[in-house]
Amino acid sequence: MITKEKIDAFIEKIPPSPQALRKTILALNAGDLTKAAEAAKEDKALSHYLKELVNKPIYGFRNEVSDVSQIFGILGVSQSQQAVYNYMLTLLSPAKWKLFKLNRNSFSDLQAELSIQWQKILKHLHIEDKEIESAIALLPASIIVSEALFCEKIDDVELLRSVNNIDLNTILKRLCGMDLFDICERIAQKWEMDEKIANIIQAASGIKPSDDEKIDLLGKWMHLLLFFTLSKPQFIDAGLNDFIDFQIEYVSDIYDEFATLMEIT
Amino acid sequence: MRATVKDGVGTFHPQGFLDGNASASLLSIEDIEATLKLNADMILVSLKNVIFFNRNGLDAFVKLFQKVRSANHIIVGFCDYDTKKYQTIMKFYKDELMFSLFKTQEIATLFASSFKNQSKNVLLYSDDKSQRAAMAIELHDNGHNPIVAQTKKEFDEKAKAENAYDVIIDDTFLGQMGQKVATRVTGNAIIYTVSSFLDAEIGNTFNIAYHNNSLNVGFRLFIFDAYKVVSMNVHALNFFSKLASAAAEYNATICFVGMTFEKTPLSFKETLEDSGIMFFEQMDDILGDKELLEELGASSATAIKSKRALNKEIVTEIPNFIDATVATIEMMTNSKALKEAVKIDKLEITDRENKIASSIGFYGDIDGMVILVFPDGIAKKACELLIGEDTDDKELILDTLAELVNIVGGKVKTLLNDESISVDITLPRTYPNVESLLEIAQDKKGVQVDLNFNNDNFLFFLTR
Repeated sequence: MITKEKIDAFIEKIPPSPQALRKTILALNAGDLTKAAEAAKEDKALSHYLKELVNKPIYGFRNEVSDVSQIFGILGVSQSQQAVYNYMLTLLSPAKWKLFKLNRNSFSDLQAELSIQWQKILKHLHIEDKEIESAIALLPASIIVSEALFCEKIDDVELLRSVNNIDLNTILKRLCGMDLFDICERIAQKWEMDEKIANIIQAASGIKPSDDEKIDLLGKWMHLLLFFTLSKPQFIDAGLNDFIDFQIEYVSDIYDEFATLMEIT
Repeated sequence: MRATVKDGVGTFHPQGFLDGNASASLLSIEDIEATLKLNADMILVSLKNVIFFNRNGLDAFVKLFQKVRSANHIIVGFCDYDTKKYQTIMKFYKDELMFSLFKTQEIATLFASSFKNQSKNVLLYSDDKSQRAAMAIELHDNGHNPIVAQTKKEFDEKAKAENAYDVIIDDTFLGQMGQKVATRVTGNAIIYTVSSFLDAEIGNTFNIAYHNNSLNVGFRLFIFDAYKVVSMNVHALNFFSKLASAAAEYNATICFVGMTFEKTPLSFKETLEDSGIMFFEQMDDILGDKELLEELGASSATAIKSKRALNKEIVTEIPNFIDATVATIEMMTNSKALKEAVKIDKLEITDRENKIASSIGFYGDIDGMVILVFPDGIAKKACELLIGEDTDDKELILDTLAELVNIVGGKVKTLLNDESISVDITLPRTYPNVESLLEIAQDKKGVQVDLNFNNDNFLFFLTR
């Protein structure tokens, strides 16, 4: 059994706070992009990460964007914030993934895919809320934590998987009393996010719907987006597709709208 | 991804969005190998957690089905879907649907051999008559008690009764049936549907092998449903004229129904009429006129052009034919068959009273025709299960008998397919009495097997 303390210890590592990074976040929280860019430039790794990120095809820029202030300018406050959160996570992500067949590159693809599409969804739903926009970063974060937890007990996990078709999320719950979404919630608390974020994340599990209509709706969109993303070959290969149980009925009422938005034919 | 096996049923559970890329990632070569080695009676792919799929997404699994089928001869198919998904799959695969579709896993397990003898009361409906029959037979075979609804209305009414049935089956398809080229109707007519512009292309699209075999089996009336034909050119005219003269050698009739000559020269109609083709305005003009239908569809004594002999390929497959037939009839009549005599000669029927017959042709890697002669009693009993009640309506019995023979044909097709012999089957033809059968079959040489079901003589005849 993995204890709660152990989980907290993992989460404690998020976010590590080098001086430059902390400054960047503070400036972003204050909405000061120029100051944030200045701070970010001091951290070479962060600048490099941001450059790689915005030049991914999913962002769709025709010319290479290389200047940090330019990058923040293009992304705007909330997306820049998310990009920095994502960067903090990559610092945490294991150098070598054991259970999930991911690497630094594919992990940042996952982050980018989720962030961009979530942004699109929120725009479609006319929601402008920095915290809700950042909520999506919790999912990749909890995948890192899960990987770390699973690695502790990798033999048990693989044995359980081979004898029975249980999803990893259930195994996670049995091993440490918390599932992926509980971990998300804990990270949200750690990041001092609003309580509603934790509720959205819990609703996104598809098994704990919220009484609050708005939160429940966001949970549905997030659940569906998660599966939309995890159905990409790259993440199926990584073993993420069957991490959690897809609750098809939970999202059936928004599916058509989702399909139109994501241009699924 | 690997299948999980429970009670002899191996199930894959893909989730999310299933397109070509996703399913290629889901199924690796090792996964396919592992599936082939599974000790399962049935391999299913559950679509329960799949919110979106396209044809490419399903194709990877369909290819797996084909491999599993030919290696292990077990039931394969999709399950756990709603009506919308069912219709989509039907649309994707139409006539090439070789796998099964089960609305739920529970329904699927009724057809799995490891779940035998659980005697469940099952209400079932399908708008396809052959499917209704095939399902009823399989369920009965597995020790259940199927109740077949003949119409959607009847199904809806019966389904309302709570707790009356253990399982209710609809939106389900058994994928081992014969092909669907044409539609058969009462009175032994075959209907082909043609549409839009008829030109030289008709020579490629019309299944001539099927047609010739239908002639060989004894069909004598062919109706072209031409309501949707816009026009016909001279190539198509030649094609149909030739078809008509070929049919004339068998004394068969070809009719066109609903063809307008607004955009086709009227002289074409005369040419076609000269070659023996008849024209009707409405389908009911033929189908509604029982006398005419009987006259046109009756078998005739004209000597059949080609005298084909049995060959070694067919003779080696005889056990397959007999097994498929005997198993089906035994199960339908709930009695044991005793083999009495086997001989190779012309068809010989000693007692001609109170018997009906049916024939079905097959063609492809091997070709030939199976004739079954039923005493009225056995036929009635065998059809009882399919009709759901005792009946004396001869037309209904003949119709149902045709379905039964279709099932036998489907079984033979599957058995042969497992041995890599690919054949297609024609629609079954029925004969209300021995005389009408002998008109087409008396000169044919073949293998005759006399079987005894509860002291009633049943005859199996395989010929070419």
